[in-house]
Amino acid sequence: MLRVEDLRLYFRTSQGPVQAVDGVNFELQRGRTLVVAGESGCGKSSLARAILRLLPRNVHTYSGQVYLDGLELVRMPEERFRREVRWRRVSLVPQAAQNALNPILRVGDQVAETVVIHGKARTYAAARPLVEEAFRLVGLPLDFVDRYPFELSGGMRQRVALAQALVLRPDLVILDEPTSALDVLTQAALLNLLKTIKWETGMSFLFITHDLATASELADEVALMYAGQVVEWSSARQFFTGPLHPYARALVGSVPTLREDRPLASIPGRPPSLIRPPVGCRFADRCPARFDRCAMDPPGFWVDGDRWVKCWLWEETRGR
Amino acid sequence: MGDDILQVRDLHTWFELRRWGFVHVGWVRAVDGVTFALRRGEAVAVVGESGCGKSTLAKTLLGLVLPTQGEILFEGRPLHQDLRWARSRMGYVQQDPYGALAPFLTVRRILEEPLRIHGVPARERIRRVRSVLEEVGLVPVEEFLPRYPHMLSGGQQQRLVIARAQILGPKLLIADEPVSMLDASVRVEILQLLRALQRAHQLTILYITHDLSTVRYFCDRVFVMYAGRIVERAPVQELLRNPRHPYTQALLAAIPDPDPQNAQRLRPVPPGEPPSLLRPPAGCRFHPRCPVRIPGVCDRLVPPEFEASPGHLAQCWLLSEERQPEPASRSGP
Repeated sequence: MLRVEDLRLYFRTSQGPVQAVDGVNFELQRGRTLVVAGESGCGKSSLARAILRLLPRNVHTYSGQVYLDGLELVRMPEERFRREVRWRRVSLVPQAAQNALNPILRVGDQVAETVVIHGKARTYAAARPLVEEAFRLVGLPLDFVDRYPFELSGGMRQRVALAQALVLRPDLVILDEPTSALDVLTQAALLNLLKTIKWETGMSFLFITHDLATASELADEVALMYAGQVVEWSSARQFFTGPLHPYARALVGSVPTLREDRPLASIPGRPPSLIRPPVGCRFADRCPARFDRCAMDPPGFWVDGDRWVKCWLWEETRGR
Repeated sequence: MGDDILQVRDLHTWFELRRWGFVHVGWVRAVDGVTFALRRGEAVAVVGESGCGKSTLAKTLLGLVLPTQGEILFEGRPLHQDLRWARSRMGYVQQDPYGALAPFLTVRRILEEPLRIHGVPARERIRRVRSVLEEVGLVPVEEFLPRYPHMLSGGQQQRLVIARAQILGPKLLIADEPVSMLDASVRVEILQLLRALQRAHQLTILYITHDLSTVRYFCDRVFVMYAGRIVERAPVQELLRNPRHPYTQALLAAIPDPDPQNAQRLRPVPPGEPPSLLRPPAGCRFHPRCPVRIPGVCDRLVPPEFEASPGHLAQCWLLSEERQPEPASRSGP
């Protein structure tokens, strides 16, 4: 349903272009959830913005192809994108969404506004049935419709933001760190809700997170980003049980676990600057398995037919 | 008793809530009746969700907030008797490293500041600054001395905050969410650093966190806080294996480990949200959300701390029934 090919998004800065998203490829089938994981600054939020074309003014390069059911989005005229795609077909729950609500409007009206602006209803009153349906879907009591954001807890406000994203029943919802600001129990409740919505509605989700433990709660597939690039893309089962890329292995090994007793390992060094990233593999400096090929940029290799990894170590298995 | 570095008895820290600056509305009971002791050289985690009072507890112990009621003995002396002396022996590691560092001071000045305040002569100061920088791994030292906080990465900033907390040679380190702002790969380094410091200096550490999964890597005991009270205290492994308070059980069940099976099932989550600290519920504060509450008991009477097994204490009425048969069935220490 969603196919991203060689997507690039560079930002202009005084020191030169920042390669926030640099040649990203992946696909997402209808009804599936892809987790985009990575550490802060790896470009995962920029990827979300690139797909939704919510671009800031200092864009240096924006290229590649994004196909939604065969419809190309990158070169589509802005007005058509706004009317036909944004929010109608692809919506976003932004980071820290519980603080993104307008404090002086009733939350029900804020959801209704979405409906009215995108032309699904003429007036707020006419939008009411859709709003109520969205509230029901995200587990908000209907009497919350007339409340103000400050009257709701963080978890409930997060649900309002989710209702805004779901009210037009888009094909794809992008969730940018939807749970990172929430408490343990609130987070678990929200993840339960997202799972239920996913099972019941058949929507696709693109779930962006830095936390591999919450990633595993929703993922059908995982795309791991490092320094602006996707370095591994495979099914969740394969990713969490036996990742291929050395960075993925190190990252999985650095997650503290509650139930399993194993030593933790950190990753020495830090990610490269995205202004002038290294020419070859961007992880080479920190990689325990680097060898001479790593001075060249690795292409993606398919392993076992369905796992994609951007690392020279897997070159031999190409074509198999 | 002689081995306790910190003793806290019936500590309450309430904040007055006023409207228009003068009309008394009520008290926010951030810490509401907390009693515990820290043994010299142990690392204890205080775990709880936001708003449960864990940061207020830390600030009260550091003398940054005045307690409303109760007693704090640090090294056997009342904390507020000689706060300057007590603070020279306590370190504070803040949550947000960048916010905790003065942006216009160099690394050298930041680290010298506590030494100046406590009257350490100049030559001794720079010697200590160098040694503490080496200890926290900000090497080569000469490169870091003239830098400003914004020139450091998040992990390096947190190392600097730890160095500052460590520079007076404290006996007790209070670390308030020291890794919650850091990336996974850096988080491990900071946890390992704290553990190394603890071992090298026999430090007592009070580690405040919302993340139970980091606790096992260097703590000996855990306190679980809920709505201003410590509801369960136990050694780490014991708490993880055999949680006794229903809140702790809910908390453990809600924390995922990276496992692809997670996507196939829902997690059990108790309904509702933590209560308002302005008007906490009567009886046990968890009873409105508790799946196993005893009607007529949990909603009326505040549970005292029951000893479930040696060193494992929980404030839950369910344990009161087990209490009688237990000494017989578990004879011996």
